[in-house]
Amino acid sequence: MRKKLTFLLFLLVAGITTAMAQNITVKGKVVDQNSQPLPGVSVTVKGTQTGTLTDVGGNYTLNAPSNATLVLSYIGYDTQELAVSGRSSINVTMTEGVKSLNEVVVVGYGTQKKSVVTGSISRVKASDLENQQVTRFDQALQGRTSGVTVVAGSGAPNAAPIIRVRGITSINNTDPLYVIDGVVSLNGGLENLNPNDIESIEVLKDASAAIYGSRSSNGVVLVTTKKGKSGAPTLSYNGYYGTQKATKQFDVVNATQYATLRNQAVTNDGGTAPFANPGQYGTGTNWQDVIFGESAAIQNHNLMVQGGTDASKYYVSFGYLNQQGIVLSDISNFKKYNFTANTSFQPKKWLSVGQNFAYTYTRNQSNFSTNNEFGGPLSSSLNLDPITPILAAQEDLNGTPYTDKPVVKDAQGRPYAISKYVGQEMSNPLAYLETQRGNYGWSHNLLGNAFVEIQPIKGLRLKTQINGKQAFWGSQSYTPLYYLTTQNNNTTNRSASRGSNRNLTWNWDNTISYNRQISKHDFTVLLGTSAQEQSEVGLSGTYNNLPVDDYRKVSFNYALPNENRIASSYEAQPYRVTSIFGRVNYSFDEKYLFTGIIRRDGSSKFGSNNVYGTFPSAQVGWVATREDFFPKNSFVDFLKVRASYGEVGNELSLSTFQYTSVVAGGSNAVFGPGGLVIGNSPQGPQNPNLKWESTKTTDIGFDAVIFKDFNVTVDVYRKLTSGMLQSFNLPGYAGYNGQFFDNIGDLENKGIELEVGYNGKSGDFKYNVSGNISYNKNEVTFLGSRPYIDGGSFQNSSYPLFRTQSGQPVASFYGFQELGTFKSQAEIDAYTLNGTRIQPNAKPGDFKWADNNGNGVIDEGDRTFLGSQLPKWTYGINLRGNYKNFDMMVFGQGVWGNKLFQGYRRLDIATANYSTAALDAWTPQNAGSNYPRLSDLDPNNNFKNPSNFYLQSGAYFRIKTLQLGYTLPTAVLSKIDVKKARIFISSNNLVTITKYDGFDPEIAGSIDRGIYPQARTFMVGLDFTL
Amino acid sequence: MKRKYIICGSVVLMGLAGFVSCKKSYLETTPAGQTLEANYYSTPEEIFTGVVAAYDPLVTETGGLNNTYSGPLGPLNAASDDCVAGGGGPTDMSTWQAWNNYTVTPAVGPQGEYWGRNFKGVSRCNIILSKMEPATFLDANTKKRYIAEVKFLRAYYYFWLVRLFKNIPLIVQPLEPQDVYTQLQVAPEAVYAQIEADLNAAIPDLPVTVPTAENGRVTKGAGIALLGKVFLYEKKWTEAAAQLAQVNGTTPGGTTGTYGYKLQTNFGQIFSPDNKFNSESIFELNFTGSQSYSWSNWNQFKSNVYVQMVGPRGYNGPTYWGGWGFSPVMTGLVTAMKTDPRYGYTVANIDSLTKATGTSYEASYQNTGYFIQKYAPLQKYKAPTGTAELNFPNNYIEIRLADTYLMEAEALLQGGGSAARALELLTAVRARVGLTPVPATLQNVYNERRFELATEGHRWFDLVRTGQAATVLASKGYKTGTSDILPIPLQDMQNTQLKQNPGY
Repeated sequence: MRKKLTFLLFLLVAGITTAMAQNITVKGKVVDQNSQPLPGVSVTVKGTQTGTLTDVGGNYTLNAPSNATLVLSYIGYDTQELAVSGRSSINVTMTEGVKSLNEVVVVGYGTQKKSVVTGSISRVKASDLENQQVTRFDQALQGRTSGVTVVAGSGAPNAAPIIRVRGITSINNTDPLYVIDGVVSLNGGLENLNPNDIESIEVLKDASAAIYGSRSSNGVVLVTTKKGKSGAPTLSYNGYYGTQKATKQFDVVNATQYATLRNQAVTNDGGTAPFANPGQYGTGTNWQDVIFGESAAIQNHNLMVQGGTDASKYYVSFGYLNQQGIVLSDISNFKKYNFTANTSFQPKKWLSVGQNFAYTYTRNQSNFSTNNEFGGPLSSSLNLDPITPILAAQEDLNGTPYTDKPVVKDAQGRPYAISKYVGQEMSNPLAYLETQRGNYGWSHNLLGNAFVEIQPIKGLRLKTQINGKQAFWGSQSYTPLYYLTTQNNNTTNRSASRGSNRNLTWNWDNTISYNRQISKHDFTVLLGTSAQEQSEVGLSGTYNNLPVDDYRKVSFNYALPNENRIASSYEAQPYRVTSIFGRVNYSFDEKYLFTGIIRRDGSSKFGSNNVYGTFPSAQVGWVATREDFFPKNSFVDFLKVRASYGEVGNELSLSTFQYTSVVAGGSNAVFGPGGLVIGNSPQGPQNPNLKWESTKTTDIGFDAVIFKDFNVTVDVYRKLTSGMLQSFNLPGYAGYNGQFFDNIGDLENKGIELEVGYNGKSGDFKYNVSGNISYNKNEVTFLGSRPYIDGGSFQNSSYPLFRTQSGQPVASFYGFQELGTFKSQAEIDAYTLNGTRIQPNAKPGDFKWADNNGNGVIDEGDRTFLGSQLPKWTYGINLRGNYKNFDMMVFGQGVWGNKLFQGYRRLDIATANYSTAALDAWTPQNAGSNYPRLSDLDPNNNFKNPSNFYLQSGAYFRIKTLQLGYTLPTAVLSKIDVKKARIFISSNNLVTITKYDGFDPEIAGSIDRGIYPQARTFMVGLDFTL
Repeated sequence: MKRKYIICGSVVLMGLAGFVSCKKSYLETTPAGQTLEANYYSTPEEIFTGVVAAYDPLVTETGGLNNTYSGPLGPLNAASDDCVAGGGGPTDMSTWQAWNNYTVTPAVGPQGEYWGRNFKGVSRCNIILSKMEPATFLDANTKKRYIAEVKFLRAYYYFWLVRLFKNIPLIVQPLEPQDVYTQLQVAPEAVYAQIEADLNAAIPDLPVTVPTAENGRVTKGAGIALLGKVFLYEKKWTEAAAQLAQVNGTTPGGTTGTYGYKLQTNFGQIFSPDNKFNSESIFELNFTGSQSYSWSNWNQFKSNVYVQMVGPRGYNGPTYWGGWGFSPVMTGLVTAMKTDPRYGYTVANIDSLTKATGTSYEASYQNTGYFIQKYAPLQKYKAPTGTAELNFPNNYIEIRLADTYLMEAEALLQGGGSAARALELLTAVRARVGLTPVPATLQNVYNERRFELATEGHRWFDLVRTGQAATVLASKGYKTGTSDILPIPLQDMQNTQLKQNPGY
């Protein structure tokens, strides 16, 4: 940007040919506070258009009247005015100004100086990213800015986080729109971007997002990648190596305790205790030790070369990431190779062209289910009984299934034990691992864009940019013969599958912008068009009865009968968007600011009655500190008040052809001995009025700088979403295959956000403290004729876990309310309505359920709202310090005010392992306990009912990053011809403070069924620049 | 400068191109591999796919409102005194367990599966009927047959619904979205009237026989037999006997003149996958074992999953394929049937088999050691490709000749018809398995139905409609006045006008 401005000035100067009388030649050198020369400083004669720029040595030469005043200005520094007074040599020291105000902010199809920005836009800079060892850039948003909530999707390598901007804007898709270097990114794949290549991330939180129209109501995340800077080539490297480990295990009982509890449960049901001597089992197997194992390695290396001249610039980088997962890392790991090259050229003063190319290859093993009570090693580790050993006991080896089934064996040929107690999907994790070794996924991602920009007259820029993303991805899998449990086995068919898919998304943007200054009036007008289209195809094949018994020998070259070779293919439904948009920025003396945006989007997803949507917004700002009446030299250096209002849309939750009734296959029958007859049926009722959701967003805020070093930003907002797309199941009696979609439902988000930052210095110790905190209140205000929408499931219960209802936050926990246990029969007898016992069949130790509907029986009508899964508060705090060559950073983030549902234990497996909390289960000897009596039949539904029994507070605070660095002294570096070198040690997720007793309080979806927890990582790293 | 304007002009043109691309037609995409409903049903082939879609729920054993196993036999067997629920534990297929124990609530029970299956069928019928009626391109005879088949199917689905739920909305047109939530339940008589009307309309246009390649499609005999059965449930004894007599023929035990029905000589062969659509079969649900299904085909299986479910768990001998241990046969039925010639074809005594052959199996929940033989997963019928569990080819015979014999006999005895004919019918059923005649009393007909049709899904309905359920099922927890029907599924009580069935 600096170069661009320089170039503009150069044009300006070049256009001037007038020379003035009585001129003298003034020379000088411009340096910064550290006496380093400053190139590119604009030196002009006040009141004229005469001027020049300093060269690389900071020197300038200028002809000026001997009584003239020179104006020196440079981005990031205070502008100075100096009288020539006949001097021929004037050296100047520039002092840094209020830096943050001179930052340039990306606003979508352009940039703006932060001091004149009227929208609520949060920014994460490269320097914030560089000191946090994240493997994907979206993780880096966590805790960095106000109004952005990030929840790790899973601790598995490369798992995508869930990101929400200013709460949940919709009951449907609430993912923000990602725009990478101006390209709307539709299909995820965000991991393909190397965080190391990112220059800045901006989040458009309010009506400023309207420039992205129908896809902007969930906020827009604008990512700008690094470009070359003019200067001699520099090569830099950064990288780290680390180890990762799970931070916490869930407390489950040991083998003796397990046998005791099983005896308790069975005898409570009137049965005979199954374990005669619980003590004989000792502590047994800790299955969590088995899956978490030893620590897992992570390493990341990046190499960059960049440089150029004013007229041509380049940036080339290579990145490598190898991350082992902390759960069974043999089948949970991720590798990534990135290559990026971008160049830009300015062959003529009025013409610039450029390109960007990025290639990413990934390979991962991550296909076991996580956070799923119906299988996967995490769920197994929590549900398997501790009695079963890891390897089968000698005395069992002579019986079934070890003698007659393809049981899984370890490297020494010893069979892994199969639990005699816990079956279904729960299997020995090490045996499971062996069955998964041959499975992996891969992707090749090619991203390219090219632009041409011309500037035929001053201030007018015409730009056209074409972007294409070609992604190839697929997987390979091998299923050996295995016998894990009675239900989970494959005893007949070794098979292998291979699949590949490709997606092409292109878009073409054309913009015209015109900037003009007339005295103190400054206008910028932008007009543009955009078109986007995507297509996708995939192909996969399976070979059955492969003659191999080792995943390493899998090949698709084996000759097999045709019926053993099965292929399938698909293509995605077409999706197209076209848009026209415009924006006007006006500023009077950088004091009164106005921005107007309008965008019209057409989408192939919209119903035939609503093909186009229009999204307007207006923003105003007032920089009070520039008013003449504002007290000079007060502690307030800068104060800008801003307000915005606009309408933004959300079509991200729509699928193609939802608006219409499509006849599709899958309704087959069987006629005759020949087999299948194809039947087709309509998938659902049509709705030609189907359209985007609309969100009206209002924001009032201010940005202030006080005492020069203290930044404060405060925003208050309100977002009203209306016409929410509801995809709901019609009653079963309607008999449709598919769901019905309509724009019904309103939702409100209100909140307040605060961001503060302070730069301080005390001797050699320089420090920076910044923090942010956001409060959001989410409330559903209207759902049409339907009083509520249910969602979320708890194992096999048909009571949904979440209810969305007017007056409540979206998807609040909904269920029965336990009031503690009945301590005695007398309490049961006393729990009556009109003299009739409410729970006549209850026994002491059963839950007393709240009869919320007051009908005297406990039934589904007694369910009530039990709390929200949405945090009320999210916050982040960042401390950085430098002392001489040492630097330190602590970064923490947290949430408060949400609930988590912990449902680890499988209820349909009566023999599943217990948490240690069950040791306190109610018994006549432990009659004070509020943990219900153990029972397999569970006639009082103590465990079967989703209830507040399973809920815990989700509040936590986490030290996300703690880092110590040391920069080698210049004296040392100059000897080895290195510009900069720094070594560091760092830790991620070092400390988590929470009351939640599960693996990890950061749970995507707020229901913990055995999530893949995040790792605690310790790293050592090196940065250097040649 | 000129050149600048040329370039400027070209960029403006590119911009214009961009605006042109905003044309509405650019956004009018057509779906790949699918057709907009508005453009579909325009050829005879497309109409036929809609008719097939009306058959689809008959042979879909997964899905329903809870998206679980939705085959009709498992829950009915668990609710009756033929079987218990079984499976992996007291909460495995909790919906079956709930019916087994008569602890069904609107939230937990098998209602969602029956409701979903049969209303989906109704909807498919309504849609294709509305598409067919105006279709002029369809050959008149083909159209008549299609309409007759679909009306039969609609009657069939409603017959299931009215028997299981009694109070249901009656929908006979494609339901528009705005009408969905306003549907009210109607009196069961109105549903029965619609069933009769549909069957009466269908019967004349149904084919007497179908070629082998069309096995599984509705025949005239099926229409008549179903109408007779409907009359029986309505206690319209005379009408029932009259209809059933048409398929039973004039000489019980012999071949029915018009339709060619005849009792199989070998009782065990009736259910063999090698003997599908045999002479005893009147209405048969046709499954396939040749589709190589895997778990990723969930909701697409046209194989018989119940076969897998009833197999003994962890059985490792040569005869059976290890199943999931559902529907163990109750010892009461075993004791009663022990000496009956049909016993060995009805009950698999896995306990003694494994002991005798030195093999083993795992006791399932509520294990009795006895399993269903009629639909047992036999090794020899295990599909060679695909996931074995999901590819059993066995059919259900929903209406077979022995059943219609006994239904006619019952109708005759109840309605004061020919006792001699009733005796002939009962005797024919017994004679087929080598049993001597017994007097044609109602109780003897009931007993015969129990043994002849055990585990085929008739027992629970028979107990309820004949008023025996309260006594026979008392030990399971049957509550008179409530347990004779299922609750309306909780999901369909939400936001609708439906009223819950009494007692739930």
